[in-house]
Amino acid sequence: MTDAAQEAFSQTNFGTIDTVIVVVYLLISLGIGLMVKRYAGSMLNYIGAGRKIGPWLGVATMTGTELGLVTVMYSAQKGFSGGFAAFHMAVIAGVATLFVGLTGFIVGPLRRLEVLTIPEFYEKRFNKQIRVLGGILLVLAGVLNMGLFLKVGSMFIVGVTGMASEGEALKWVMVGLLVLVLIYTTLGGMISVVLTDYVQFVVLSFGLLAATGVAIWKLGWTNIFETVHATLGEGGFDPTVADSGFGWEYVFWMVITAGFVGSAVWPTAVSRALAMESEKAVRKQYCWSSISFTVRFMLPYFWGICALVFIAATPAGDDLKNLFFPEAGEPEVSNLYAMPIVMGRILPPVLIGIITAGMIAAFMSTHDSYFLTWSSVITQDIVAPLRKKEFSTKSRVKLTRILIVLMGGYVLYWSVFYKGREDIWDYMAVTGGIYFTGAFVVLMLGVYWKKTSSLGALLGLCSGLLMLFGLEPVQKAVGLKFQNEQTGEWQEILTSPQIGLITVGIALAVTIIGSLVSPNRKEIEI
Amino acid sequence: MTWELIWKIVFIVVLSLFAVMAVAVTVLGARDVRKLLARLKDEQSKDDE
Repeated sequence: MTDAAQEAFSQTNFGTIDTVIVVVYLLISLGIGLMVKRYAGSMLNYIGAGRKIGPWLGVATMTGTELGLVTVMYSAQKGFSGGFAAFHMAVIAGVATLFVGLTGFIVGPLRRLEVLTIPEFYEKRFNKQIRVLGGILLVLAGVLNMGLFLKVGSMFIVGVTGMASEGEALKWVMVGLLVLVLIYTTLGGMISVVLTDYVQFVVLSFGLLAATGVAIWKLGWTNIFETVHATLGEGGFDPTVADSGFGWEYVFWMVITAGFVGSAVWPTAVSRALAMESEKAVRKQYCWSSISFTVRFMLPYFWGICALVFIAATPAGDDLKNLFFPEAGEPEVSNLYAMPIVMGRILPPVLIGIITAGMIAAFMSTHDSYFLTWSSVITQDIVAPLRKKEFSTKSRVKLTRILIVLMGGYVLYWSVFYKGREDIWDYMAVTGGIYFTGAFVVLMLGVYWKKTSSLGALLGLCSGLLMLFGLEPVQKAVGLKFQNEQTGEWQEILTSPQIGLITVGIALAVTIIGSLVSPNRKEIEI
Repeated sequence: MTWELIWKIVFIVVLSLFAVMAVAVTVLGARDVRKLLARLKDEQSKDDE
């Protein structure tokens, strides 16, 4: 890191009082985890909070899980590079979640069936083999998907606190956060997750609104829009034009990804729905969560836009201009750092401490939820169905806890060694797509088309593996992405959204064909 | 109507709705937390008996 970068990164309003706020907040969270540990004895309580969550707490926990620090970071990155055009994803997410709430699309029937995980539905609807296969694909995609969480979350912390100026800080923050999350998650399971989600909701929702108000006050409402116009042109507002970095294919891909999958298929969201006390509560939870599903994207996009405006159009951001928009040939600092560094300069002490504490809690909430979801899928949907001997509750909880620790080790490894350079959101859409492109089709047809057969489900789920071709290192390895020898620019034969849409189309076709060619003996209606 | 105006309106409407929701969920969510803990406590005391 250059001296100029070190100097620029060390400037922040984060001080001692903010450190105290963060430490006290984290101690309270750990205290809650310890307090409810005694209730986490049964598997139903450990991974489903005993199906006793009321609708309002449901909204808080859904928001707490989905409004994670990683979401804030990758969304801010999209806002920084795409401007207001990125808002289309927030609107799509909100409208799709409202649709699920009003109709009960997919999650209503799943809750009626009283399943705890999506693969459990596969067994009830198809057979045990589909459950195991679905579980394996789900874990493969889910674990790959969260591979960069630790790094991205740590980048926020070192960016906002000024620690980014110290070379080794990122690694140590990653290790520290990981240890904290592992202790917390293995203690209390879903009950402690739900309770800390509530505290996090209260702190973050008011903190986010206050921070947004401060950003608008400091940068000026009109100035924000004018700067985006001057910097990004019409593409900074219209997501359908090619120079916005999005375009129609991307928008359609987002209808599936940020829309229906994010709300009705992604296991961490669905696990909240399945832990609710009734189907009516699920629908109410989704209708209200449609607002927070919009906000969880829109506010971070706006913060990313504010970072762009601060750097491009204020004298205080002059020292950052060369770092984030360097002249040709000079190294560029990752634009993931833009939002946390700018927020560290804009927000006043105390508010920045509250936001950072809330963000670390959000990071923990997302991590523990993901660890819990993937490890419980391995225990419940892969190991338990394959075991011939009885699998006691105590052994299941123990295995789930061991798996959480193993996943922690993997996340640390992947954060250090993955070398892809795609935007974090696009990385997540692609890795998640390994599971959800097939699962979206199989769940939808499995619930609403009684002719869907086991063979159709098998083919549909396996077709999701095609999404591996959307990962940048894989694209380069197979020649889908190559460097133009004359210009030196990277070119793609198929973009990730195109691969995603093609995969969904193939999954739909093979599931229908497989079901018609080899129907089940008995048609099942949900 | 321009995209800029659309995003201005959407942003203000969504933020206003979120502010209302934040208050509602804070108040009514606290009630749900109390109910959840009471139910889990009941269940545990039944198991102990």
